[in-house]
Amino acid sequence: MPEFITAQLESLLTAQFIVSVVTILLVVHVILLTVAYLIYVERKLSAYIQDRLGPNRVGFDFGLPFLSFLKGCLGLGQPLADGLKFLLKEDYAPSRVDKALFTLAPIIIIVPALMGFVIIPWGGVWDMPGFTIPIIGIDVAGGPVHVTGAAVNVGIIYLLAIASLGVYGVTLGGWASNSKFSFIGGLRATAQMISYEIPLGLSLLAALLLTGTVMPEGIIRYQADNGWLIFSQPVAAVIFFMAILAEANRAPFDNAEAEQELVGGYHTEYSSMRFALFFLAEYAHMVTSSAFFALMFLGGYQLLPFVGDPLTSPGAVSFWAVLAKFGVFMGKVVLLIAFMMVIRWTLPRLRYDQVMTLAWQSVIPISLIVVVATAVMIYLGHTGVLPMLGLNLVIVLGILVAQAFMPVTNTNAKLPLYGSRFNPVPGEFVNTRPTDPTALEDRPEQGTAPRAV
Amino acid sequence: MAIRDEDILTITVDPMNRFERVFLPEVVKGFGTTIRHMFTSWGQGRTSRTIQYPEQRREHYKPEDGGMEPSTFRGVHRLNRDEDGRVKCVACMMCPTICPANCIHITAAESPWDDREKYPAKFEIDELRCIFCGMCEEACPVDAIELTTEYDIVGLSRQEMVFDKNKLLEVYDVTIDRKPM
Repeated sequence: MPEFITAQLESLLTAQFIVSVVTILLVVHVILLTVAYLIYVERKLSAYIQDRLGPNRVGFDFGLPFLSFLKGCLGLGQPLADGLKFLLKEDYAPSRVDKALFTLAPIIIIVPALMGFVIIPWGGVWDMPGFTIPIIGIDVAGGPVHVTGAAVNVGIIYLLAIASLGVYGVTLGGWASNSKFSFIGGLRATAQMISYEIPLGLSLLAALLLTGTVMPEGIIRYQADNGWLIFSQPVAAVIFFMAILAEANRAPFDNAEAEQELVGGYHTEYSSMRFALFFLAEYAHMVTSSAFFALMFLGGYQLLPFVGDPLTSPGAVSFWAVLAKFGVFMGKVVLLIAFMMVIRWTLPRLRYDQVMTLAWQSVIPISLIVVVATAVMIYLGHTGVLPMLGLNLVIVLGILVAQAFMPVTNTNAKLPLYGSRFNPVPGEFVNTRPTDPTALEDRPEQGTAPRAV
Repeated sequence: MAIRDEDILTITVDPMNRFERVFLPEVVKGFGTTIRHMFTSWGQGRTSRTIQYPEQRREHYKPEDGGMEPSTFRGVHRLNRDEDGRVKCVACMMCPTICPANCIHITAAESPWDDREKYPAKFEIDELRCIFCGMCEEACPVDAIELTTEYDIVGLSRQEMVFDKNKLLEVYDVTIDRKPM
């Protein structure tokens, strides 16, 4: 091999580069497989929550007699069957759609969804031993490497930027479809994203004020030293979780795809693999958001708060520690996603004006208060878990007290309506006697006259 | 039927107190309900309501467990036979008159027997149109048409699902042991 190529390769193939590439390859495949099975998990969990059984018939026998022992298997073959169905369905585009944007939208939505993972520090730091790459014979010097896609200093800011790109595909898909339902869905997603970016950023700011760094690894180290941020910033954590639910278009904020109002929302006109890409992106967003939450507030890859156990504390750099950290992080992500699913089957979807009211009238002011209060506490130098917990308690109590003096909105009040027999206008007399003579003949006393009160 | 005064229930919902207006404590209560149901019905547990159909059938259960009560179940129709094995129907046209789905078609003809005037030369029920309301059974003056306990009937064409007189009498032969007249 020529000398200059070897020199180039040697400068390129650093330990960090190799580990990053391997992590990216591993994580992308794990995520894609997870996403396929998340749909299965969602169906199964929702079935159990609703006292049903969910998919339990599709196994891996593919209808072949000699594989019949793989039948059933709790319905684990369902994602495979669904994927096959998506691949084989007709890739249909309605007439008069904007062809370029219509094709581009699923790509634009899936790319940011898969790009966000790159800064998540799945395995912390690994003290990699040096080795020689077999065939080309290049020595790779060992040393501490970050087991993550890209160990950038501004990881959190990168993730925020990428996460807000996700709505671009939704809007484009809705716009390009040439359908009013898709269009409304896209617009709703846009407005919702604009509203919930603010509490997302503000609650994040409250946490970042404490950590003093936006590097993911640094945030985890801070939490290892000072306790997880969910203990010192619980209000910010709740607001952050709400905001990521809204960002990922999850229930109860899934107005962009409200089936009852908008047919299918922004992906009404999509079919086959393009629709599957939208679906994949939605679940990938869930995984990203959960990883983001676990990183920010749940101590990242640490198993227990306050105690530095030997395997998953930031100081552990052995290979097995990396594997354990990876497992713990993934476990937290899976638990958070299960929690998101429980939320979906517990809370009804908010009406659109309620979504906006929640963001602008309650969540944003509260997160502003939290940020200011945190800044004051940092100025005073009380940044431990207990003072911060006390501060949050004071904020919650303050909200409860302040609510008594807040004006009560009557958005949901029952409005009197002319001609309504259930809520007539005051002074109105509504005759509900049947007009059909046979009905009167049958029972002359029938019919009521509700009076307005 | 029009709404009568006694049918109207006036429900007043108490205004939410200050604690409830924060919503989050109530939301947490709701999580409790959801998670409880999830774990009690996990893997066809206690609260699971599913009958796994092709293997388990409603006939296998008591009515109070979601099973079938054969005397009142409204499945596919049959045409009853009298003691001599003749069709019991007298082609009075009560059932096609009352049928809300217009799925019964009878062609009446003079009866070849002495004890009645008419009999159905053709008797067809479109099982795809039928809504299984059971009004034909109630209307029949001679208890000739009845609904049986059979509910999983299939066909490869629409025409196949139009049951004629012979087929309806066959249904009687098959189901008379399970559901006596």
